[in-house]
Amino acid sequence: MNAASELARVALVGNPNCGKTALFNLLTGSRQKVANYAGVTVERKEGRLRTPGGRPVAVLDLPGAYSLNAASLDEAVTRDLIRGFYPGEPAPDLLVCVVDATNLRLHLRFVLEVRGLGRPMVVALNMMDAARRRGIEIDVDTLARELGVPVVETVAVRRDGARDLLAQLDAIGGATQQPRQALPGAGDPGVDPGAALHAETRRLLALAVAMPRRTAAVDDALDRWLLHPVFGLLALALVMFLVFQAVYAWATPLMDAIEAATGWLGATVGATLPEGPLRGLLVDGVIAGLGGVVVFLPQILILFAFILALEESGYLPRAAFLLDRGMAAAGLSGRSFIPLLSSFACAVPGIMSTRSIQDPRDRLATILVAPLMTCSARLPVYALLIGAFIPPRAVGWFNLQGLVLFSLYVAAILSALAVAWVMKRWRRDRGEHPLLLELPSYRLPHLRDVAIGLWERALIFLKRVGGIILALTILLWVLLNVPAGVGIEDTLAGRIGRALAVLFEPLGFDWRISIALIPTMAAREVMVSSLATVYAVAAANDDAASDVLRGMIAQDWSVATGIALLAWFIYAPQCISTLATIRRETHSWKQTAFATGYLFGLAYLVAFVAYRIALAMGLG
Amino acid sequence: MSAGLLLQYAVVALAAAASVLVVLHKRFPNTTRRLRVALALPLLRAGRPGWMRAIGRWLAPAPASGKDCGGCDSCG
Repeated sequence: MNAASELARVALVGNPNCGKTALFNLLTGSRQKVANYAGVTVERKEGRLRTPGGRPVAVLDLPGAYSLNAASLDEAVTRDLIRGFYPGEPAPDLLVCVVDATNLRLHLRFVLEVRGLGRPMVVALNMMDAARRRGIEIDVDTLARELGVPVVETVAVRRDGARDLLAQLDAIGGATQQPRQALPGAGDPGVDPGAALHAETRRLLALAVAMPRRTAAVDDALDRWLLHPVFGLLALALVMFLVFQAVYAWATPLMDAIEAATGWLGATVGATLPEGPLRGLLVDGVIAGLGGVVVFLPQILILFAFILALEESGYLPRAAFLLDRGMAAAGLSGRSFIPLLSSFACAVPGIMSTRSIQDPRDRLATILVAPLMTCSARLPVYALLIGAFIPPRAVGWFNLQGLVLFSLYVAAILSALAVAWVMKRWRRDRGEHPLLLELPSYRLPHLRDVAIGLWERALIFLKRVGGIILALTILLWVLLNVPAGVGIEDTLAGRIGRALAVLFEPLGFDWRISIALIPTMAAREVMVSSLATVYAVAAANDDAASDVLRGMIAQDWSVATGIALLAWFIYAPQCISTLATIRRETHSWKQTAFATGYLFGLAYLVAFVAYRIALAMGLG
Repeated sequence: MSAGLLLQYAVVALAAAASVLVVLHKRFPNTTRRLRVALALPLLRAGRPGWMRAIGRWLAPAPASGKDCGGCDSCG
């Protein structure tokens, strides 16, 4: 960093889950995803800031790494970038090595490794508030003197928590290369470099850190129950169960309000505009189609409120630990848990986060089963079908609709484990990879962070509604009205639907369902808007009274068809972005074709079997 | 056909055309990019008139942002 006006490049590096991304968000005003577990960031992110002294700085947020000897793809990004070997990226001018002040025993090792590179660096002691609460005393001056680099305190979750760091960025603006400080005994023959790092870490801890106990008492007390092989699993099942109950129990009033607003808007626009194609497009296409999707926003937000709170609490890595044995038996590892969990939001970031899995076979297996996780785009489809066919009555203390939704999520998880198990048998892999997972301290979720996360989630959903879903709804409406003046079954969409129905008839899908499946390849929620448009156009043509979609399909479809469609949506890879991400992450068309083929094959088979069983049970 | 009805059809046609572009842009970003480059390059060749070059510049995609993600906005 030479001139005050020159853009300096500062990289945030450190062990996973030390708060780099939270600090990055604080410094740059970004809203990158943060959570209380390792492996959230798997690629470099860049933001800008201006220091109090007016210096423009480009800040890089790098994936967490335990060592410069990279063991996974995300660690390799960090290693290459800070050494200046990353393609198209110069080495950063300054490294800010972020460490968790409550876990210096682990994090100082990496600081010593980075210091060995001889590049200008600052150590940011993050989470100092948590360290003080636990009675940990850190002599910052001694630590800085012994390390030979500046050390500042930060609290990334506090508004002014990076003040000292910003001042430091100004203060060392013209700094030259830091002297490389060799570890005592590191070069001696017969001395293991790892042992030298350990020894130096212990020396620094003894000099500069006073710690009443290594772990927090509350963590130990909670872990005695939550990591118990029996009570822990029961607690996990209970948590997941309550989440799905809440999705149904709390969302109904808001959903009713949105439904009423959509109905009013459709009636008003219909009464205002003159008869013609534009009125049809707006009322039967845009308002009926998009209204049918937007109504599920409250359920999506309630689900994500729980997921965000769990992510912040530090409970999720414990869940990974609990499930490791079962996942290992199925051919996955506990490391797969976080990518699979991310896939509950969307398979795309879930598949990308498999970069943190070290073993290539584990990584491939996780990528191939990630699309089976119930992404949020499936939720509107499930909610529509459950609302149409499952009565909202109580079973004991529980809501029946919530029970069915819970069982759909469980079915997806069990299917993923079964597929991973078959793949493991197929490749005759009998080896199991041990799980090494850092368990973070428990933390009370910050209401503000959860609210911001929900706001982001709502924006993503509404952007999709106003973007791709709106576009596909308009196109489907056009296809349902061309040529003009014919019955809906003779329109372009009707003809395509009838041609496809030959293929889908064995599953109980008629031409309307078949035509709605095509645009669903672009986004799963389009199934709802497509069905809403098809039924609205048909109702308008038949001069029938408009009704909410779930009432219409409950009347028109058999229960067996509803069950078959639910089964189809558990498996079908109806998302072109997911398939593109599989291609990008595996660099293999063969694996992409395999994933597409097995998922469609499974979807068809399970939907067929479900339909036939339902018919045999008299649900036709 | 009345002028009002004609106008309604024109609006629907415009909405449909815009929808096709949105779907291409959001779900096939790389293909769209290649298509825009292929369309823009002949218009930007030396010797082309100014208006043609202006259209070429308008058609040409912005430089890649360097994001690893394809930018399909699908993470929902």
